[in-house]
Parts: sequence; structure tokens; C-alpha cells
Amino acid sequence: MENRKDTAMEMRIAPAMSLMDKLNILADAAKYDVSCSSSGSSRRGDGKGIGNTVAAGLCHSFAADGRCISLLKILFTNECIFDCKYCMNRRSNDVPRASFTPDEVCELTMEFYRRNYIEGLFLSSGILYSPDYTMELICQTLYKLRTVHRFQGYIHVKAIPGADAALIQRAGFLADRMSVNLELPTAESLQKLAPNKHRKTILRPMKQIQNGIAQNRDELVLYDHAPRFCEAGQSTQMIIGATPESDYQVMAVAESLYQKFALKRVYYSAFVNVNEDKDLPALPGGPPLLREHRLYQADWLLRFYDFTVDELLTEDRPNFNMMIDPKADWAVRHLELFPVEINRADYRMLLRVPGIGVKSARRIINARRFGRLHFEDLKKIGVVLKRALYFITCNGKMMYPTKIEENYIVRNLTYQSLASRKEKQLFAADGMQYEQMSLPL
Amino acid sequence: MPEEKYLICEDSIEGVFTGIYDAYAFREGHEHLHIQIGEEENLRLFASYLYITPDLVKTRKVAETIQKRLGADTYMSICRALATEDTEKGQAVYQTVVDGITRGSGRRVLENSMNPHVDAVFRLSRCAANEIHRLMEFVRFQELEQGILYSKIGPKCNIVSFLMPHFADRLPLENFVIYDEKRDLYGVHPAGKAWYLVSGMEPAPESLQLSEQEAQYQELFTMFCQTIAIKERKNLKLQQQMLPLRFQEYMVEFVKK
Ligand code: SF4
Repeated sequence: MENRKDTAMEMRIAPAMSLMDKLNILADAAKYDVSCSSSGSSRRGDGKGIGNTVAAGLCHSFAADGRCISLLKILFTNECIFDCKYCMNRRSNDVPRASFTPDEVCELTMEFYRRNYIEGLFLSSGILYSPDYTMELICQTLYKLRTVHRFQGYIHVKAIPGADAALIQRAGFLADRMSVNLELPTAESLQKLAPNKHRKTILRPMKQIQNGIAQNRDELVLYDHAPRFCEAGQSTQMIIGATPESDYQVMAVAESLYQKFALKRVYYSAFVNVNEDKDLPALPGGPPLLREHRLYQADWLLRFYDFTVDELLTEDRPNFNMMIDPKADWAVRHLELFPVEINRADYRMLLRVPGIGVKSARRIINARRFGRLHFEDLKKIGVVLKRALYFITCNGKMMYPTKIEENYIVRNLTYQSLASRKEKQLFAADGMQYEQMSLPL
Repeated sequence: MPEEKYLICEDSIEGVFTGIYDAYAFREGHEHLHIQIGEEENLRLFASYLYITPDLVKTRKVAETIQKRLGADTYMSICRALATEDTEKGQAVYQTVVDGITRGSGRRVLENSMNPHVDAVFRLSRCAANEIHRLMEFVRFQELEQGILYSKIGPKCNIVSFLMPHFADRLPLENFVIYDEKRDLYGVHPAGKAWYLVSGMEPAPESLQLSEQEAQYQELFTMFCQTIAIKERKNLKLQQQMLPLRFQEYMVEFVKK
């Protein structure tokens, strides 16, 4: 009797919706979140379940916007008690709402995974009733996936700001990666656009996850079989262009997130104006994709090229040059350090030469042991000579005589980058593509 | 003047490794020996041609020597290079082995990008590695009536044997089959058992009856892929650059129904 009443109630509140309709609504609502499975996490299957993870990450498909489809990226629900101004799902919007059940999420994940459609699950959510209630549902879902379905593939889960620390902890032991979105670079902007969110409730779980990972690392040293906590680390995301912060402010925040919170990745998401709210910029030119691209390039320089933000930007020059990439921009402003001799320069200096990437720098260092390198060798190694030629010598000689003068070089590099189809298409991509394009060759 | 010798080998790891074994057995230096895959079209007048029959014992010896002297990574790179369709790959691998063993660059041989043969092996191996990586991503399984997962591919290189370990680790409890239609080669994985290769077998058409639920999941995923795109960022060129059409024709989300 009890049961029948419950079902009747449910029917009235949410008339049965097909899985197709729910997926449509909840994938659409999740599409602005950036995620990526190339996390450096690599785990073989144990032969008793389904799934493994691959360090380089796998992109299983590509959407019409050119972004990679790697994970089943969905919201658990797009119901929300909050009213963030930039968000399609905010309370005050009149949009179709839907919620999955834990079993539905499991079914989609397992059936998609078996068919090799996806690398795993990216589960985020609006806030249904309360942060705890929502986080509890998310934990239940992950628990079922890991135990009932023995799913050993990749799971990225959002920590709901304001959820109880114990729930965050539980999720961390079930997921490969967790993220808490910083949303906006400064506390003032957050207050203005996301009045229900607070810097505190975002940074607290971030810290908790960081500590959890560090503690887990110690445990794993002692016990090989200790349960793993967020093996693939933690990431976050900032919306770019909805608020007036400079690139310098954005990158300074990113740098301190890497240093103080040991984040694996910071994602930048060009603002898409879905709500036409009066507090939000109109962006007649569309989302600031080129700016987003420059931020990803700079982020790359911080993580792999040993640059600091203060080398790239200053208070007086707080924004990136839209015409050339941040590394070339740095190089032309430091012509006194160039040209460098390919057969002698150390790894760190090679990395600073435009046209030389992490892989080609490594290959130069390795190949040098077999003999002196010449320009033809550099080409084979993968150095982009038409960019590098202003900055290098090989055996004391430049490739050909050229003017070493800032404006002249900038003009040439700009011309190239505008002519390059690849860069043009690329800057419309986001962090995932950036990662993909730079996969180890 | 010593005569140029051409060792004609079968297009397989066994073929080329047997050729390398025989080349070393001549003990007359490596400058005038060439490993060639398949028949030469323009026969040279002042050269002799020897036909090499693949031999498992010789193959194993060469494989072990490469692994021991040049390392497991180099060995894998060599195997990948031999999976490509390149016509010079046999000679490139042979000369790379010579560089590593006889000239002593050993485990670092592939770093010697100044040797054109080594550079060729490096490039070919990278090309096959890219193809393997992409197919790990783009393989699409369809569920057949008996719950068997079936995938058809048409890769540039002969890489089914590189894909199988990945999927066997990932889907250990599934019965699955990957079929390379260009080479008529099947990778077969019975649930809970070791995988194996089968060639020259046509699938009986009725065995390709899809399971009842299959159409529903294909539809769900196709819809998901369309929904997840941000229309303000539409960029079909980028999509095609990342996912070339030659793969799309095998993928459920791109097949026009
Ligand atoms: S919390 Fe804010 S950003 Fe998240 S779903 Fe709700 S309204 Fe949107």
C-alpha cells in the first residue's frame, strides 16, 4: 500500500520520461563543462570486471564543435536551488528539467563503455534539494558502478560546493578525478554572478581533496592495496570573459592553484552568453575563443616549459598578445638571450626557443650524443625551422642571414601563424584539443 | 667488387626477421646486403636475388637478440614499423638493427636520427602507433544477438594484433571480435580466455544479426554526440581534422541511417 502511494506521487511530480529525453536534457546541460581523460592515470583491469585507464587518454569521438568526446558527460540532475547568472540551469530559468536515477546512469555508462563509445563517466550536477542530498545520490551512483557493475574505467566527478566533507571523501575513493569549479577568477566576480556560492565553499573541498590525495600517497607507500583516492588528481575550471579580470589575474590564479592546491589541470572556458542577463557582457563577436586559446598556451608554458606568470605578463602589460603566442611573445621581448647554439644549449633554454617543443628539445639532447646536429637534422627531429630560425644557430651559423629585430620578427611570426590553417582551427578548440594536439609523437 | 645481394622476404615480422638472420649468417658485412619485401619490379643486372622462407626458429632468435641488445621499447617500435605498408621498411629495420648491434648504439639506437634508416624506423613506428592509438579510440562494437561484441575496421596498417591486448585488458569478460576488412583478418577474444588471430574466414551473414537493444544504444549515443556540441563553437573542419572521414565511415554516430 505504502509503495503504491509513493509511485503515484512520483508519477504526478515527474511524468515518466524516456531515457532518451533525459539524456538529451542532461547532456545538453553538461556541455559547457570541460573535461578530459588524459590524466596520466594508468590502471590495468584485474580481469574480473570491465575497464582500465590509459595514461595518454583516449578521445572516442569528436563533436561538431571539434571538441573531443571522451567521457559520458552528463549532469545527474539539472534541477537547481541556486541561481548562478551565467548558468542555463539556474533556478530562475524556465527550462525542461530532468533527473537520472543511479541505475540509469550505470546503464548508460556500462552499455556505452562496452561498445567503446566512451572512456568513462563525467558526472556533474545541479543541486537538488541540498548539496548533501545531491552529493549522496552521486556517491550512490559511483558506488553501484564500482561494486555492482565492477566498472574499472575512468570516473571524473564534481564535488558539489557545500556538501559534507564525509561525502566528498567517499566520492574521492570511488573516482579517478574530482573537481570543484572555481567558476570565476576573483571572489568579487563570484559574488556578483553566483550569489549562492562562496569562495570558501569552493576552496574548502579543494583543500580537502588535495590533503586526501597527499595522505593516500603515503598510505600507498605503506600498503600496496590501500584504496585509491582520486588517482588522477584534481582539476578546476574558470569562465573567461564574463567578468573584467585581465589575463594576468587569471594566470596568477591558475599558477597559485597549481602551486598551493597541487591541481592537475586548470581549464578555461570561453564564456557563452546563454541567459542574456543584464549583468553579463553581450559578446557580439561570439565567445572569446582566441583568448581562451592563448590562456591554454600559457598554461602549457607553466606546466611543461618552466615559465612563471611574471615572466609572461606584468601589471603594465596584463593581457596576452592576440597576434602571436605567449612563448614567441616572450622570446621577441628577450632577444638579448638569443640566438642559442643548438649543439650546446641546455634543455631549459631549448624549450624557450619558438618552434621547439618538449619532444623536439628531448630529441635534440639525445641526438647530440651521436654527433653535431645540422639544420637538416633539426627538421627531421620536428623543429619548426621557419619559427626557430630567428633564435638559433647550428655550429655557429644561422640558417640564413636575417634581421634580428623585434618588429621584423613579430611581423614574420604573425604572418605565419595567421597563414597556418592549423592554428586557426585550433584556437577554436579548448583544453582537450590542446592536449590532444600535443600528444607525444 | 662484391656483388649486391637482395634478400626477398615475406611481408611479416617472421619474414623480415628471418631475412635479418640470414643476412648476418653471410658474415660478409652489411653494405652490400639488402632486405626487400616482395618481388622487385625493376630487376638489377648485377645483383643476385635470394628468396627467404620465414622460419620460426630464426625469427625467435632475432626477436630475442633485439629485445636483449636493443631493449623492449626498440623491439616494439620495430614491430610497429613492420606493421606499416611501407615498401622500404624491411631494409630500414635491418639497417637499424645493424646500427644498434654492430655499431654499438644499443638501446639508444632510435635516438640516432642522423642515420636515415633509423629515422625511417622511427617515423614508420610513430605512424603505426598513431593508427593504433586512433583505433583504440574509434573502434565501435556492435552487440550481436548472442551478446558478442563485433567491430569492423579498415586501418592503414596491419594493427589488429596491437589492438587486441588493449581490448582484452579492458573487456576481459566479453566475447568480442575485431575484423580488419582490408586484410581479411579477425582478432577473436573469447570471454575469460586468451585472444587469437584468424585469417581468411568469411562471417556467416546471419551471425551478424544485431541484438534487440543494440539499435537503442546506437541511437542514444548518436543523440548524445549531437547534443554535446556547443553551437557557438561549431567547427566542422576541426572535427574532420581530428577524426578523418576514413574512420567516420565505420562509426555508428556518423553512419547515416
Ligand atoms: S549551482 Fe549554479 S552553476 Fe551549478 S547548476 Fe546550479 S545554477 Fe548552474
